[in-house]
Amino acid sequence: MKAVLAAMLMGWIALSAYDPTHLKKAMEEKECIGCDLRGANLSNSDFSGADFHGSDLSGADMRESIFEMADFNDCNLSGVNARGTLFWKGTMMRSDLSSIQARGANFKGVHLEHSNLNFADFRGTKSWKADFTDAQTVKTDFTDAELGDAKFIRNNLSTAKLAKSLLWQTRFSATVMTKQQCVYARKEEALLDAKVICR
Amino acid sequence: MVKFIAIACLTVLSLFGGVIQEDEQFKTAVASMGSDTKLVLMLYTTDECPECAYMKQKVFHEKGVEAYLYRHFVIIEKNVHKSKLPEGYDFFGIPTMFFIDKTGRKKETIVGSKRPQPFLSELHRIRGLQ
Repeated sequence: MKAVLAAMLMGWIALSAYDPTHLKKAMEEKECIGCDLRGANLSNSDFSGADFHGSDLSGADMRESIFEMADFNDCNLSGVNARGTLFWKGTMMRSDLSSIQARGANFKGVHLEHSNLNFADFRGTKSWKADFTDAQTVKTDFTDAELGDAKFIRNNLSTAKLAKSLLWQTRFSATVMTKQQCVYARKEEALLDAKVICR
Repeated sequence: MVKFIAIACLTVLSLFGGVIQEDEQFKTAVASMGSDTKLVLMLYTTDECPECAYMKQKVFHEKGVEAYLYRHFVIIEKNVHKSKLPEGYDFFGIPTMFFIDKTGRKKETIVGSKRPQPFLSELHRIRGLQ
């Protein structure tokens, strides 16, 4: 029992072991490239235009913060708490957003190409015009998300949840979807091209 | 440098008109109401705004919304990059919808798009505001 608790404690320490100098730099300069910000507290702050590319922010607390036009390319954002966070017009290409908790966050115009969104919670997000091209979407939850004019190209959405999502003019190309998802998307006036597989 | 700043200031100021009562679109909208007690819905848009298109092309024409909207409101649209914007009507997001009574009093502001049913509920609520 003690060994299990010790292992859990060590695991928690490892997950939240950010570099304090990196956090200081991020908070003061709004720029921290290739930084170790694992488990850091970045909540309720304004990071508009910040540059975090190549950083490890896994498990960080980013709730209610503003990351307008911020650069998160090639970042690890897995397990981040981003409820109500604003990422408007930012870039998150090739990043790991698996298991991110982003309920109610704003991803309008965000570039998420080639990102990992497996098990991500995107419920109720405002993701108008977001680009999900080549993103991994295993069990991604888009319930009630606003995905109008967003782009899904070469995604496998068959295990993702799209219930009650807004799909007006959402573009799907070469995506794999369930028949039910296809029916729903067409009803929502999404644009499905001939390469979409409904099965 | 001073010249440049002056030109920049004039450019910015040129986008802001006078008070809403002097705005030509507003005056036309009020005139079109006659004796009806409608509200003006002033919609701020830009060219590249899918949410604006969603409101204009989809929500405003949705069953249930359209009849109520046009019975009780007069819509005017301003492209924030091209139109003169009246004083006191700043915006923090696009689309922004201002609801204004005949006298030019702002009754409510909605930022962002809304789906048809919640939008209709908002219209009912705003119309009931004193």
